[in-house]
Amino acid sequence: MPVAANFATAADIGALMPVSIVALTALVALFFDLLAPNATRRLLAIAVATMGLVAAGIILWAQYPTSYVAFGGAFLEGGYSTVFSMIIVIATIATLTLGLGVGRDDQVAGSTALILWSASGAMLMTGAGNLMTIFLGLELLSLGLYCLCAISVRATAREAALKYLILSSMASGFLLFGMALLFGASGSVALAALAAAKPSLLLFLGAGLFLIGIAFKLSLVPFHVWAPDVFEGAPLSVSAFMSVVTKAGALAVLGRFAYAAIAPGSATAILIPVWTVAALSMLVGNLAALSQTDMKRLLAYSGIAQVAYIVAAFAGQTASGVRYAIFYLAAYTFMNLGAFAVVALMSRDADAVVGVGRFAGLAYRRPWLAALMTFFLLGLAGLPPTAGFTGKILILAATVSGGYAWLGGVLILGTAISIYVYFKIVRAMFTRVDEAHVRDERSPNGLPWITVVVCAAAVFVLGLYPFTPSNVLPLTH
Amino acid sequence: MSVTVLVLGPIIIGLILYALPKGAGALARGIGVAVAALTFLLIAIKPDAPDASLPWLSRPFTAAFHLGYGPISYWVVLLLAAITFSGLVALRIPREREFTAQMLILQGSMTGVFLAKDMLLFALFWDLMLIPVFLMMLGWGRPARGPRSHGTAAWRYLIYNVCGGLTLLLATAAFGVVNGSTDVIGAHAATISVGYVWGPWIFAGFAFAFLIKTPVWPLHTWMPDTYAELPPPVVAAVSAIQSKAGLYGFIAIGLPFLSEQMRAAAPLMFVLGLIALLYGAFIAFTEDDAKRVMAYSSLSHLGLILIAIFSFNPIALAGAAVYIIAHGLFSASGFLTLGFIEEREETRSLSHLGGLCAGNPRLSGALMISALAALGLPGLAGFAGELLILTGVYAAGFWWLALIALIPIVIAAGYMLRLFQTIMQGPKRADLPERHDLTWNEGFALVPLVLGLLLLGINPHAVAAPLENGVNVVARSR
Repeated sequence: MPVAANFATAADIGALMPVSIVALTALVALFFDLLAPNATRRLLAIAVATMGLVAAGIILWAQYPTSYVAFGGAFLEGGYSTVFSMIIVIATIATLTLGLGVGRDDQVAGSTALILWSASGAMLMTGAGNLMTIFLGLELLSLGLYCLCAISVRATAREAALKYLILSSMASGFLLFGMALLFGASGSVALAALAAAKPSLLLFLGAGLFLIGIAFKLSLVPFHVWAPDVFEGAPLSVSAFMSVVTKAGALAVLGRFAYAAIAPGSATAILIPVWTVAALSMLVGNLAALSQTDMKRLLAYSGIAQVAYIVAAFAGQTASGVRYAIFYLAAYTFMNLGAFAVVALMSRDADAVVGVGRFAGLAYRRPWLAALMTFFLLGLAGLPPTAGFTGKILILAATVSGGYAWLGGVLILGTAISIYVYFKIVRAMFTRVDEAHVRDERSPNGLPWITVVVCAAAVFVLGLYPFTPSNVLPLTH
Repeated sequence: MSVTVLVLGPIIIGLILYALPKGAGALARGIGVAVAALTFLLIAIKPDAPDASLPWLSRPFTAAFHLGYGPISYWVVLLLAAITFSGLVALRIPREREFTAQMLILQGSMTGVFLAKDMLLFALFWDLMLIPVFLMMLGWGRPARGPRSHGTAAWRYLIYNVCGGLTLLLATAAFGVVNGSTDVIGAHAATISVGYVWGPWIFAGFAFAFLIKTPVWPLHTWMPDTYAELPPPVVAAVSAIQSKAGLYGFIAIGLPFLSEQMRAAAPLMFVLGLIALLYGAFIAFTEDDAKRVMAYSSLSHLGLILIAIFSFNPIALAGAAVYIIAHGLFSASGFLTLGFIEEREETRSLSHLGGLCAGNPRLSGALMISALAALGLPGLAGFAGELLILTGVYAAGFWWLALIALIPIVIAAGYMLRLFQTIMQGPKRADLPERHDLTWNEGFALVPLVLGLLLLGINPHAVAAPLENGVNVVARSR
């Protein structure tokens, strides 16, 4: 095939438009930072980034109904990728407003650019149609995050960054080796070719190593140990970003791999470890969250379990399963970012340590904040009237109709444990305490309130009207 | 339309109450009383209100926001409005505004449980109704074992009941996938089938939730502390209405759609019901905490209803319906009265109470009525229910069951009279402060409940008749 035939057409470029906009916005933000006076640097960077993200979101909205195979199958534009990208864009906007950027005034433009590049990497993963694009997106996502974790001067932040760098590189190694074996088994890097490959030891081994790499990014048990330490050490907004965007990108890859890149005959054998690992994560994630006293660690462990719920929806590879997975991902995004925003409102700066003890008596000091936090925690625990409840019932239905009812049973067990985790905070908030014993910090600005209110509204509305996009079946061709 | 108002109205007004200024406690309470009275009137004057339904899910199964009256739920909801009214009228509690708001949210969500015609909506309200109770126990509970144990009972209540709620959710999801729709409560049973593979699992999920809620031994350990700690208006609502949600579930979901599995599980349920009956009665006889005496007597009484439901006999079922309402009436009035006593004497320990009768004749009269209804005095509502249940169980061929069930009924007379005697009679205790008798507010609060006890005792048919018809329809359709 001549090279010219594979060269980018206008439609190819168009398919990558949202990703490119997000990536280029980062440059614009950096450029404006050179010109801006000192007082406005922070606001300007955030404003530029938000505008770029909104523009990307609008184009994603327009792209949703079309599907197009861009760059000879390297990037697959379609409902699946646009919906995942949309969630990434929303989460990124929320992250930026959460703490008004990351770092000192002179760092904000840089950190904002890194966040945008990371987000574009995750968006690339959502549409990745071959192994190269998956790896490209994953590394783009991770490289930004290594720097973002290290941005604050605290020792724990640097420890977190180093830990993340080393462990994540190891996972990339697994992933890459798995990809090499998959290439060996199928003779092509395209996911479509993978589905046609004959089952062989090479294929199974490659798929296994590949899935280990993905499980690491999803922080599924037993590949989860990095998550709590990194979440604790990283600045608050970066933890919030990682809790949604990294996972959304990896979930998109996992979904496409599970649905479209494996021949039906060998699918069960290859994927049963994934479902087992998900079941394990539901239990271990929630059990470990029980004893956490730091909010970021607690949310990290709860995130491990939450993502496992989403993975459970893929089990059985039913057409409705992917819709419910996306619905729960959206619900999780709003619930989790809402909870992070509440934590942001309770901390003086992005480096503040917010322990569970700080929530004691919150309902009597700041009743609205306590009420909204309760709402988000209800959602994470899967109780009504939230999207968490509706999402859980949809996932349960997906597991039952996919033939994996045992996974639904484990999900119920995990959720029962998680009730302890989330209601520990509710209980603290509604118990009267002596005001003198509680440190009452507030965030320097009210911006996280926007995130809190928007997230609460979204969690409520999605709970009543479960909007599950229909055009989202992951394809490879 | 009016059924939607019954559910959403109290919840929304409850949330609005939070927006009132902090000092407006009396106003908030006034609004609460008015809302409870209005809901009561709305239910009473329009017993044939049409169902309200809005589509909710279309896949993986159809579900709808479908609310409507059923044969028992009508009376339960009416009783709930009356109890909320009574509780708020007699209320003397700090932070009235927040308490009233929570009370209304509780009323709305519990009304939702009983009016839900869709199983998913049922599960939604089932979980929702736990939250206000949990928050009220944290905010206003009086720990039974000193302040250090604050919150432990609330915790236990929540964990037990949410676990039940989760299995309910899984069972509902499975039912929905297998049947294709959860919008079935009150529908014709013949159109529903859950199959032999899924039936037992679905039933197990439902039964676990219902048994925790009722509760029966050995899942009851959350109950005594919860009832003892909760402030009187809430415990009246919880013991009278919330604990019936499980029994109602067996009647509304189990009997029509899972009757095969119910029949298979009947022996187990009989055993559990008998244990609850006997165990509750014996513990009630020895408890020192007055509210815990009532709590264990509830355990005993609800065991009887459980047996009645699983006997599959129309008379027993009619008795169950009557007894559900009757127990609601006398446990609510009993817990409210015990609350009045605790407020005056600042203790509910039977060994510290005594001789109140002389100074507080009206208070003692109020407790007497509740105690007599609870022990099944002919002419009051409790008797009608017990008689119907025992007759029905006997007629169904379980004569031994009826015979054993008689024992706790006799013991009930013992522990209820003991409760009355130790609190009210005997020599006056010098260490108890002399406090005023029943106030007008408190008396007014008890009026609807006492009236209900009398009316239902005289005419149990009002509650029983629609159910008998309903059961016959079920029986014929099989």
